[in-house]
Amino acid sequence: MLDGTLLIRRQAVPGWLGASCYAGGLCFGLGLSAILLVSMGISLENLYQEFVVQTFLTSQGLGQTVTATVPLILVGLGMSLAMRVRFWNIGIEGQLWCGAMAATWISIHDVGPEPLRLLLMMLAAMAAGAAWIGIGLALKLFWSVSEVISTLLLGSIAFFWVQHMLFGAWRDTVTGFATSPSFDPAERLVLLGWEQVHSGIWIALAAVVVCTWLTGVSRFGLLAKAIGANPRAARATGLPVIAAVSLFVLGSGALCGLAGAVIAAGTEYRLSQSIGAGYLFSGIVIAFLARANPLAVLAVAFVLGGITTAGGVLKVFYGISEAVVLLVQGLVLLSVLAAQLFADYRLTERKSG
Amino acid sequence: MTDLVLAWLTVFPGYTVPLLLASLGLVISERAGVLNLCTEGLMAVGAMTGALMALAGYDPLLAVACGALAGAALSLVFGVATVVFRADHTLAGLATVALGLGITGVVGRPYVQKPFDGLPRLSDTVWGADLPRLVGQQNILLPLTVLLLLAVWGWLFRTHSGLRLRAVGEDPAAADVVGIDIQLTQLGAVLASGVLAGLAGAYLSVAAAHVWVEGMVAGRGWVAVAIVIFAGWRPWGVLLGAGLFGGAEAAMLRLQTLGLDFPIYLGAMLPYALTLLVFCIACARRRGENAGPAALGKAYLRQDKH
Amino acid sequence: MTQGATRSQTPSGPQKKAGQAPALLLRDIDKAFDGKTALSGASFRLDWGEVHALVGENGAGKSTIMNVATGVYAPDHGEVIVDGRDVPLRSPVDAVAAGIGMVHQHFRLVGRFTVAENVALALGGIGRRIGIGKAAQLVKRKSAELGFALDPEARVERISVAEQQRAEIIKVLLLGAGIMILDEPTAVLTQQEAEALLSMARRLAQAGHAVVLITHKLQEVADHCDRITVMAQGRTVLDAAPMAQTSLAQVTRKAFGEVKEQEPVQPGTLGGELLRLENLRVRHGAVTLDGLNLSLRAGEILGIAGVGGNGQSELVACLNGLLRPLDGKIFLADEDLTAASPAKRRKAGLRVVPADRFDSALVRDMTLSENLALTGLESGRFGPWWGLSRRSMKRNAENSLKEFNVLGGGPETRASVLSGGNAQKVLLARELAAGTRVVVAHSPVRGLDLRSARAVLNLLVASARQGAACLLISEDLDEILRMCGSAAVLNRGRLSPPLSGADLNPARLGELMVGHA
Repeated sequence: MLDGTLLIRRQAVPGWLGASCYAGGLCFGLGLSAILLVSMGISLENLYQEFVVQTFLTSQGLGQTVTATVPLILVGLGMSLAMRVRFWNIGIEGQLWCGAMAATWISIHDVGPEPLRLLLMMLAAMAAGAAWIGIGLALKLFWSVSEVISTLLLGSIAFFWVQHMLFGAWRDTVTGFATSPSFDPAERLVLLGWEQVHSGIWIALAAVVVCTWLTGVSRFGLLAKAIGANPRAARATGLPVIAAVSLFVLGSGALCGLAGAVIAAGTEYRLSQSIGAGYLFSGIVIAFLARANPLAVLAVAFVLGGITTAGGVLKVFYGISEAVVLLVQGLVLLSVLAAQLFADYRLTERKSG
Repeated sequence: MTDLVLAWLTVFPGYTVPLLLASLGLVISERAGVLNLCTEGLMAVGAMTGALMALAGYDPLLAVACGALAGAALSLVFGVATVVFRADHTLAGLATVALGLGITGVVGRPYVQKPFDGLPRLSDTVWGADLPRLVGQQNILLPLTVLLLLAVWGWLFRTHSGLRLRAVGEDPAAADVVGIDIQLTQLGAVLASGVLAGLAGAYLSVAAAHVWVEGMVAGRGWVAVAIVIFAGWRPWGVLLGAGLFGGAEAAMLRLQTLGLDFPIYLGAMLPYALTLLVFCIACARRRGENAGPAALGKAYLRQDKH
Repeated sequence: MTQGATRSQTPSGPQKKAGQAPALLLRDIDKAFDGKTALSGASFRLDWGEVHALVGENGAGKSTIMNVATGVYAPDHGEVIVDGRDVPLRSPVDAVAAGIGMVHQHFRLVGRFTVAENVALALGGIGRRIGIGKAAQLVKRKSAELGFALDPEARVERISVAEQQRAEIIKVLLLGAGIMILDEPTAVLTQQEAEALLSMARRLAQAGHAVVLITHKLQEVADHCDRITVMAQGRTVLDAAPMAQTSLAQVTRKAFGEVKEQEPVQPGTLGGELLRLENLRVRHGAVTLDGLNLSLRAGEILGIAGVGGNGQSELVACLNGLLRPLDGKIFLADEDLTAASPAKRRKAGLRVVPADRFDSALVRDMTLSENLALTGLESGRFGPWWGLSRRSMKRNAENSLKEFNVLGGGPETRASVLSGGNAQKVLLARELAAGTRVVVAHSPVRGLDLRSARAVLNLLVASARQGAACLLISEDLDEILRMCGSAAVLNRGRLSPPLSGADLNPARLGELMVGHA
């Protein structure tokens, strides 16, 4: 079909070329999204107002953006860790649900002394997230079950489990709504006194530091790099492949579980059916655009946090579904992926004859 | 007991058909070497488009056809990204799901929860009034699906063009040498999978629920992806897998209407858990041996050094 | 099958006969891959009715120029003239339509399909859509014509390499190829199978076809070819010389440069036994290793000769710990390593240099310093687990690269950038580092230019001199004969007793390689 063009794979991609293809793809995707929004009746000026001024340049907007960024950092880091060892963690939302459920369980049953309650909730959430992805990991290691399928199905199962709890044992008896009872003050992440920003931000920043250390400084980072780039060689040279993969994958699940607890204890103060929605694609987009680099995750999550915030505003004031965020994510991801072609290959015209 | 079984048999096709259609599409796409994870998004778009057309008062069959077309249109985006721009199949598939869910969220929001007439049962049609109850409760898409199953099987394994399509998925270099246009074939296969996934989605809204609800696909697209692997990329295996999931789902519903005190959401979870279990057993049994198309998800380039 | 071959009738050939326009003329062909020149001004001329040898080192451009002739690669410059007509070859199908067929080293057959399905697929490519049954009939008829048996209903991945080759040849002939290009066809065959193939090539030429034989084996050229073209470094250095007027010495000089007759390596002093395999049985896919026994002493270089695909890769994987044996034992100086992990074997001093260095040894996308440090991480040489010392990794790489004379990259260069020879040296630098007691090297110089090959082999010799035991698994008899004091032959999963002294000669090795016992 494309016989007129010759694609020649480059032996080595120069840094500037890779960067400009990435930037080009990003601009194309964002531009397309902007055109789409304008065609839905939002003027360019309003677009600028909502997506730049109101989300990043006002104190209130910035506060909202930062609050939205916190769980995004955690799921972005989670996806990045798994990506580094080529494990497709498509069950981010499932681990997030499990983390939130574990935290809620601690809260409802008042486990442990009150001063330690919050810590226990976070630890339980991490353990639950790691356990949930651990099923997928074990299935892959022992039976070569594709983790794409197993983590996904586990995600659906976790969501039904949440619903089962919320419509059953955990239903809030005070309001009668399908949410858990409200968390006690001691079980909430403290507000920092600036909009809704809570102490979860310190957890997220600590996670960035730990992940930076893990991937960039520790021995496991180099192991993961080798495993990600050539798993067969890693096995043949006797590297501890299973241990390293397990570490990164369980870490991925733990971070996603932690994200669930942070949302529940930081913004919602309860378990509800809406806290986990949309984090799968956010996690993928962040990890991919950040090239699984923890510091870059911080930046991309912040931008995506802004887009999410603006999406919420669009819903209220313009009647546009917040699903528009999903649309933007899909467009940007696809165009950056496609733009990679121009970095990986040299395009020439086929000479006739 | 017989009543129960009969009742179950009556609703069974309704749960099986959409999965069967979507999985059949995946078989075509993946047999041509394109790893296709976008079904969930394609089904959503198909379901929404079908519902919108039906709400606008068009003939239900036309609405279903439009759903199929919408699925094809979105799959074209995925096809161009993977086949022409050589994007990573897994990531591009996930991005397409995001697109599909995003589009349905944005476009379909005003039409949520608005019921419409939808596709009539066979017994409600002029010529189908005398059909036995079991058949009469079904709609026209059931025989169509059976025909499609036969057609896909016959085409893939009994025709020359089916041979060519499978060759692309097994060994693109060998296929290229015999003059098969790899990219055109793969693009065609992706489009076919889009049509079928769109059809499956339209079935959910226009034929089964007669309403559009956001998230009504509810992970069935992912289940279809699992079914195809479980089925070893074979149409008859797909029938078995879809029947298993659809049967379990139908049984859960029947048991609930009986007033059995069984937690609803655990019941809804069961088909997914069952799929996972069966999927694991299938993987464990053929451990190590790759049953899928040999070049699934791999980019081919003639000018690469082999 | 050989007897059938000699008795068979002459195959039907194309209409063209000798004495007309050349069958294939390639003029002034340039081709580069992302800046790396593969061909520059190369040419090739083939006449009807001849068997034409195309000879050259690996990387000289033989396969590349033939891939240009078959429309697989588009040339950057130059013209392709088929039977006197300027034919634009835009795709492999154009070449097939022009009557050019190629039997590639890696057959272009779909492994999961049957022979008949493959033929039906190929014929469909030139617009002849036939059913599988009809294709099976055609295969039967053609194979009878050529004088060998081939089951059209057999799945390609289930039949032997020789049978796959026959399937490929039949496919190419059924496509109506007048020009048949065979890319190193005998590399995967036993002696007898090779003889049968070469006599078939002759009969095709007599029937009016034009046959190109790309080969490394000069004896084949002398015995079976009419004319010869030699390529070196992307150029044609000897253009269609009649074989009768060309000496093999001349060919060698043109193709490989001035090569001194290589002295055999003098064996060093042998120490005690280091590696012992006892009755090793392995099954992997269609290949079975059946009761392997082997003993390797310190300072020894033991060769394992044999045609590829007879269990070599499985033996290497088994020694590396990637494949569990069904039965039998592996000992390294009395330590039982049968069930040990790759890491434990490495710690015990067993090092493996696999055939494909970028597939299962080096990581393309990592730097040389990272690649060199990978196996030493656990020792703590490059810092504790919580903090890698990039500086000591770099220092280690600098030393290794200097010691093993690796050119074309520093510690921060990506491994993918290196040439084959230098990459192999990096791998050896890693595997021959301190603590090596047994080295298993599988085809360590395949695909390397002569100078790098010699350097790599010398490294192995040097490590043997220092007391390591070396197992050299190779298809190249010359390499085995030069390097090894004794050698055994691996054939159909069985290992012959080692030959040494006067018994170690090409004739005896060849016998064992084709033997069916």
